[in-house]
Amino acid sequence: MGEHGGNIYQLRPVSIVRTLPQIKDHRLFQLKLEDGTTWENFGHQPGQFIEVSIFGKGEAPISISSPPTRPDTLEICVRKTGKVTDALFEMSKGSIFNIRGPYGRGFPVEQLKGKKLLLVAGGLGLAPLRSLLLYSLDKRKDFDDIILMYGTNNPDNVLFKYELLSFFDRDDINYLYSVDRDEEGIWKQYVGVVTGLFDRTDLSPQETYAVMCGPPVMYKFVLQKLLKLGFAKKHIFMSLERMMKCGVGKCGHCAFGDKYCCIEGPVFNYPEIENIKEAI
Amino acid sequence: MKTLAKKDINKILGIWAQKHALLAPAKMDNGDCIFGAFNEKTFTLDYKKPPLSPKSFFFPQAEVIFRVENNKYNEVVAAKKGLIFGLRSCDMMGIRQSSSFMFRDNEDIYYKAKQSSAAMVVMACPHAQNETCFCTTTLSGPVAKKGFDLQLYDTGDVFLVEVGSPRGEELLVGIPLAEMEESKAKQKIDEFIKKARQSIPEVKLVASAMEKLKDKKVAEKVWDDFGAKCITCGGCAFVCPTCTCFNVYDHQYSPGNGLRLRAWDACLYGGFTREASGHNPRASQALRLKRRHEHKLLDYNSTDIQDGLCGCVGCGRCSDYCPVHIGTLEVVKAIAG
Repeated sequence: MGEHGGNIYQLRPVSIVRTLPQIKDHRLFQLKLEDGTTWENFGHQPGQFIEVSIFGKGEAPISISSPPTRPDTLEICVRKTGKVTDALFEMSKGSIFNIRGPYGRGFPVEQLKGKKLLLVAGGLGLAPLRSLLLYSLDKRKDFDDIILMYGTNNPDNVLFKYELLSFFDRDDINYLYSVDRDEEGIWKQYVGVVTGLFDRTDLSPQETYAVMCGPPVMYKFVLQKLLKLGFAKKHIFMSLERMMKCGVGKCGHCAFGDKYCCIEGPVFNYPEIENIKEAI
Repeated sequence: MKTLAKKDINKILGIWAQKHALLAPAKMDNGDCIFGAFNEKTFTLDYKKPPLSPKSFFFPQAEVIFRVENNKYNEVVAAKKGLIFGLRSCDMMGIRQSSSFMFRDNEDIYYKAKQSSAAMVVMACPHAQNETCFCTTTLSGPVAKKGFDLQLYDTGDVFLVEVGSPRGEELLVGIPLAEMEESKAKQKIDEFIKKARQSIPEVKLVASAMEKLKDKKVAEKVWDDFGAKCITCGGCAFVCPTCTCFNVYDHQYSPGNGLRLRAWDACLYGGFTREASGHNPRASQALRLKRRHEHKLLDYNSTDIQDGLCGCVGCGRCSDYCPVHIGTLEVVKAIAG
């Protein structure tokens, strides 16, 4: 039988505890399980996702933004961009909907322990990477240096702004933020694409593990940069976006090559997909 | 070896129909044959390749998976004790491959409930059904090696009966049977297979096409040309015995109440891989055709294929029904040629 008590498509109710506006059309939802179980029992790992189901609208895969080290709630950062997410944005504190999961292979946290981490995020790609970022900060002693590179298209579109600002007070994380454009001249940090950040810090490519998530165009350029700097292919991990309709490797929408992104990913080690032309 | 008299077949099917939802070849008014609910009037032994494989018996074109009441999802698992009579070895292989896929990693209970309770009576294929048959190439015919409960060999007045499982033994209880001496039966089966094989020539280009796909030596132009021709009907996926992609739909009666259904989908459709952002990793019809054929000929999971050649079972239906001639055979020729 499947891991969820028989029916792999069965749902469980959750309620919205809090909604936190992020930027235009992006919102963070804090959720609570309504079936009497806890997020500790949910067993999610950084980088995994859930299927959000709103009856009448359908189901949509949404990455989990909070780490298992903070089991009081489960956070999802959602962009309003389709039927399911439109309906989600109509909901407020106390509203109930259904989810399935957790699904997929997340970031290889055990493998990353003791290592130097470079997290590269673009735009909403920070949503899944944040689960690893907060996990590594919550278990700070388990990791060596942590470098976060985060790029957005303009200063208005920075997600998790206050959390990112709070890193200014910490000396155990090296953060570099970029915006593609700064028309109003308000950005104090780097202006340019996220790959430009690589020239603004010292990296130890031989010893560092790179983890990335961002818009499709970002992967190619970040990969080029990492390989040029001497990162080993097997030290590069990426979380891929696909239309993961069922989340359990059956419906076929997220498949490419011989992989099913929803069960073998969404996090892939670069050598696993480097020969699949369609992957990136 | 046990034998069944052909003249008794209606009677035997009548007995099986008492305890099973029996699916058998049926001749429709327009002369086409399909797998339909057994009925003495429409049943025929004189049938060619049915347009659709019996996959819809386990994986219906559309099925209700949840009855939703006040946002509570009540699963609807419809399983009746089925029996498919007369399927060919290519379709048997299709069912084996699809079952392996549906059972691996996370078990799909909707498929499994129907598949595991159904008995299979394979009709060994006496000759090519038409010019698109190539099961001898894909190692899926003319006779089934596994998966069946019974396999019948038509030798004229009698069927030789090969028993493939304990469930097959049970099916024979209470059925009028005769015996044929083993050595004589074996000789008849050997002759049957030899004759059938001769009428289904091996398509050598399949192996070279698979090799070229593996070595990434297929010119983009091959896909561009097919992409320009394809009318995106998805028919190839719907007639394919090993295509199991689906989409999920809600039919809402009132807020929080209604049905959740799943229905066949096809990787040839433009929206199949389109993400919420609008980005589409397979943005052109050429790329979608490439994906379909790479999946069938190269990337189909090897644990699902078992003793077959690839994700294609050589039934030839995509070649039979594609309105613009982009079946697997045509694609194989273009790749290998």
